[in-house]
Amino acid sequence: MSGAVSGIALAVVIAGLALSTFVTRTSFLLAGSRLKLNHHVETALRYAPVCTLAAIIVPDVLMHGPGYDLSPFNPRLVGALGAALWLCFSRNILGCLASGMLAYSLARVLL
Amino acid sequence: MSAAAAARRATFRAGQREILHALPGSAAWGLISGVAMVKGGLSVPWATAMTLSVYGASAQLAALPLIMAGAPLWVIIATGFITNLRFVIYSAAIRPYFAHLSLRRRAALGFFMTDFAFTFFMRAAQENRLPERDRDAWFAGMAANNWFTWQTFACTGIVAAGYIPTDWGLEFTGTLALIALVGPALNARPAIVGAAVASMVALLAHGLPFKLGLFCGALAGIAAATLTDGLRRPPPGAESAA
Repeated sequence: MSGAVSGIALAVVIAGLALSTFVTRTSFLLAGSRLKLNHHVETALRYAPVCTLAAIIVPDVLMHGPGYDLSPFNPRLVGALGAALWLCFSRNILGCLASGMLAYSLARVLL
Repeated sequence: MSAAAAARRATFRAGQREILHALPGSAAWGLISGVAMVKGGLSVPWATAMTLSVYGASAQLAALPLIMAGAPLWVIIATGFITNLRFVIYSAAIRPYFAHLSLRRRAALGFFMTDFAFTFFMRAAQENRLPERDRDAWFAGMAANNWFTWQTFACTGIVAAGYIPTDWGLEFTGTLALIALVGPALNARPAIVGAAVASMVALLAHGLPFKLGLFCGALAGIAAATLTDGLRRPPPGAESAA
């Protein structure tokens, strides 16, 4: 580690990150009934998991550095399609990981 | 042990079992995060302290290059915070299930809320598979297994960083595990439209600072899914066919 990051500064950064994770994770949980959400908003939130995950996954698969990589030879895209294919038949996560990694590795070696 | 306590324990164990098949994904993701902390330049004690206290791979990985580049404190914290904004949506969505619990209990459940634990809980809720009672114990069972697995492998990654090859692309298992979570949820039009819009917006907004693209994408997707749901809904009185 370079001298640019001193012990105390690092401790402060880590404490700040830990706090930010805790605050976001507990935000509405701790607000309890004091913070009332509109009924429609509460219903809309059932789409929160699928939308958030999609917003994480798709850039992860299609972005390469600062640019897009939409080519069919993009190994991550091939791997994601391998995983998706598995999910058409099973919900088992281990199998999904295995088939995705297999497709991804093959694409990296072969394409 | 009283009957109620025994039932609670059984529910906790059921939660542990529920998440069992996702743990390999959690393990690989933890391992990779640990390795990345050390290869990114943190010493073993600092990397361990960060992993144990923050317990958020995406925020840790987003903050790391900034830390090493000597970025201003507020930039690092802001980046971590915005990467974590999705948890605000999670805590709002899960709140109704835990509203009756004590403040301390809610804080503890929140600390252990991850993408995995949240998604599994909400999926079970949607499929009406949540236990009748002790839902917090069920969630805690999932969260405990997930925490223990992730931390064990993250610490292994930190200690053994020098021996673990990074050219196998193991970090891709993190993405694959999330794909495994999202796949089964894409079973109706609103969810599909929401996911599509969320991905498009996240892609287009990828250049935004502090990883804001993810949050914008999620919000846009939720709005689109809700709109689709509203359009699909038959006039009042008719039963929904879906």
